[in-house]
Amino acid sequence: MLSRGVKQLGRLRPCSQGILPSFACRGFASPTLPELTKDRYPHVKRGEFAKLDQNHLKFFRDLLGENRVLNDPSDCEIYNVDWNRNVRGYSDCVLKPKTTQEVSQILSFCNEHRLAVSPQGGNTGLVGGSVPVFDEIVLSLSLMNNIISVDDTSGILVCEGGCVLEYLDEQLANHGLMMPLDLGAKGSCQIGGNVSTNAGGLRLLRYGNLQGNVLGIEAVKANGEILDCLSALKKDNTGFHLKHLFIGSEGALGVVTKVAIQCPAKPQAVNLAFLGVKSFDNILTTFRRAKRELGEILSSFEMIDEQSIGAVMGHLKVKSPIDNHPFYVLFETQGSNDAHDQEKIHRFLENIMGDGTVLDGTVTNEPSKMRAIWDLRERIAEAFLHDGYVFKYDITLPLEKFYSIVDVMRERLGSDVLRCCGYGHIGDGNIHFTVTTKEFSKDILKRIEPFVYEFTSELKGSISAEHGIGFRKPQYIHYSKSDAAIHLMKELKKLMDPKGILNPYKVLP
Amino acid sequence: MDDYKFLFKVVLVGNAGVGKTCLVRRFTQGLFPPGQGATIGVDFMIKTVDVDNEKVKLQIWDTAGQERFRSITQSYYRSAHALILVYDISCQPTFDCLPDWLREIEEYASSKVLRVLVGNKIDREDREIPTHVGEEFAERHNMYFLETSAKEAENVEKLFMQIAEDLMKVSRFLCDN
Ligand SMILES: Cc1cc2nc3c(=O)[nH]c(=O)nc-3n(C[C@H](O)[C@H](O)[C@H](O)COP(=O)(O)OP(=O)(O)OC[C@H]3O[C@@H](n4cnc5c(N)ncnc54)[C@H](O)[C@@H]3O)c2cc1C
Ligand SMILES: Nc1nc2c(ncn2[C@@H]2O[C@H](COP(=O)(O)OP(=O)(O)OP(=O)(O)O)[C@@H](O)[C@H]2O)c(=O)[nH]1
Ligand SMILES: [Mg+2]
Repeated sequence: MLSRGVKQLGRLRPCSQGILPSFACRGFASPTLPELTKDRYPHVKRGEFAKLDQNHLKFFRDLLGENRVLNDPSDCEIYNVDWNRNVRGYSDCVLKPKTTQEVSQILSFCNEHRLAVSPQGGNTGLVGGSVPVFDEIVLSLSLMNNIISVDDTSGILVCEGGCVLEYLDEQLANHGLMMPLDLGAKGSCQIGGNVSTNAGGLRLLRYGNLQGNVLGIEAVKANGEILDCLSALKKDNTGFHLKHLFIGSEGALGVVTKVAIQCPAKPQAVNLAFLGVKSFDNILTTFRRAKRELGEILSSFEMIDEQSIGAVMGHLKVKSPIDNHPFYVLFETQGSNDAHDQEKIHRFLENIMGDGTVLDGTVTNEPSKMRAIWDLRERIAEAFLHDGYVFKYDITLPLEKFYSIVDVMRERLGSDVLRCCGYGHIGDGNIHFTVTTKEFSKDILKRIEPFVYEFTSELKGSISAEHGIGFRKPQYIHYSKSDAAIHLMKELKKLMDPKGILNPYKVLP
Repeated sequence: MDDYKFLFKVVLVGNAGVGKTCLVRRFTQGLFPPGQGATIGVDFMIKTVDVDNEKVKLQIWDTAGQERFRSITQSYYRSAHALILVYDISCQPTFDCLPDWLREIEEYASSKVLRVLVGNKIDREDREIPTHVGEEFAERHNMYFLETSAKEAENVEKLFMQIAEDLMKVSRFLCDN
């Protein structure tokens, strides 16, 4: 079935630590655990699921062996707390299958015994979707981390769902290829998690979303049935496109065990520019012009405001290569000829500075400096955690209104919060609007929600651009989806997971 | 659009460590940065100055001296109005490399570009290149000449203001004719 040029890879193991969701390695100022979700959100009631008992554990141990069944509360802790430390479950059971067969047997058993399950990848999700709400069993894909094949000619990668994104990218580099997506969590997030959240990331502008790049999926349904849609064909219009059911469904319809994904060639020339500008309007002007003048090589266009960069510089001691400005733009180009690209960039910068849009900046193709600049953008989310509690909203707004949410919220919240700021993917109209406080506050929450969703909905934006719905947002999904659409989603859920064991309390209201 | 009549692009080149970045920061920010690291790639900034009650914008490009960090090599010369070629008066090799830099300038820059030779770090006691040697070199190659100290803020303002004034004169002349 494999075409020519396919190289079979041995069993490779990623050892990337990246931003693993271990508190110790993130160096928190206060490693205190968040309140249990059941206490913080008392209106959410545990479903009619069975409670884990010794017989269940025995089945799992017989299936996976002692080592791949975690039962000790301290071992289970990191699987219970989300990356943002917003929610915490109290599961006593983490399962680590190594094969699709094992996933299938686990789910079929759980389905039969009405045991609720929370599938988990790298646990970097930002909407509380990846951890148990109550005592759901955590199904961790971490040990399903093998690359199955890489086709140098077609650029198609087939791998297991637990492969860490950065690891895949490193391996693909040996084939002159790269992953079509990149995001700040790359050192920990897994391709199965990316697919399940339909993750966007830093280069969506150029390489499109996973809906286009994922060619095939193997998934296991709630009842344990294995669904092989692992076609590695670029074109395949035979029947309904079932793979799309799993892209972005956040583990509520099935567990993604394998993925076939179309990977672009690794670019020969990469350049990165970091610019300081006076106003948000100047960012839009820069973007419009960049699209026109750098169109075919532009691969990323991101913005950061002063407070966001302040968090990275202050908490993480990352230095900015340029002076302070109210706003910053980071743009990247990828092309095949460095001289051509630099020529274009240079002319573009000259023009954009010439009319006063850009005040200050730096441009480089030196990997170490590019890394340092990317850190300013990619480590923002991490930096906020040092403030204390993070209220994070991931919304799409019409571009000209992109930053208005920050201005409006600053007025509403005043000085009662530490930070009220925004950064994000200008190229996709997607802002990560963030409020931080020393600790969680119901009062602040009430002043933000549902206002932020109403505001977004009025502007015809999306209340979740790329992070999904998870546990934090089901009650708000109606701001972005019609009743009919939500109804069909519920019907699909019923069809595919009649007992509702997969990620209960999440995604759907 | 801002209100200004003149916009000039000024590019600084020269060996690593001669003080290009310090000259720029002294001029744009009025400070001498402690522990200034090597420039990687190209940094650029805008500084508006007044010449004869006219607003003149200087678009300053600070390039990397180290070969391996020179991400943008040729294109930055092309549309420059002025080129500042810097050496370190306490470091002979930075002076010896000037002909190489000139060759690059000849090849890529416009023939009308204003060229300024700058001997930096005159605050230092261990001078290796006497002023007249620099002067002669500049004269021979048809360049302006100035000695500066970014550290002591000596001649830095003068360097950029002189360039602004000169470029303005030239462009006024061209406009009038
Ligand atoms: C620093 C940082 C930066 C980020 N940047 C971006 C960004 O730029 N763009 C973006 O879109 N997102 C971003 N995210 C969030 C993003 O959704 C996740 O990082 C990533 O896609 C989730 O992958 P994961 O393996 O960690 O999944 P998890 O967090 O473990 O899970 C996320 C959801 O998917 C489900 N799930 C996980 N694996 C599977 C599987 N194999 N089968 C079925 N369901 C599964 C879980 O149940 C959960 O609902 C960022 C997160 C962080 C921490
Ligand atoms: N004494 C003295 N030292 C200076 C002066 N200008 C710069 N320096 C020092 O010279 C070193 C290099 O200065 P930079 O401005 O980084 O040199 P550069 O030409 O930009 O170097 P590259 O970016 O690598 O091309 C630093 O240690 C400065 O402190 C000066 O006028 N006097
Ligand atoms: Mg420098």
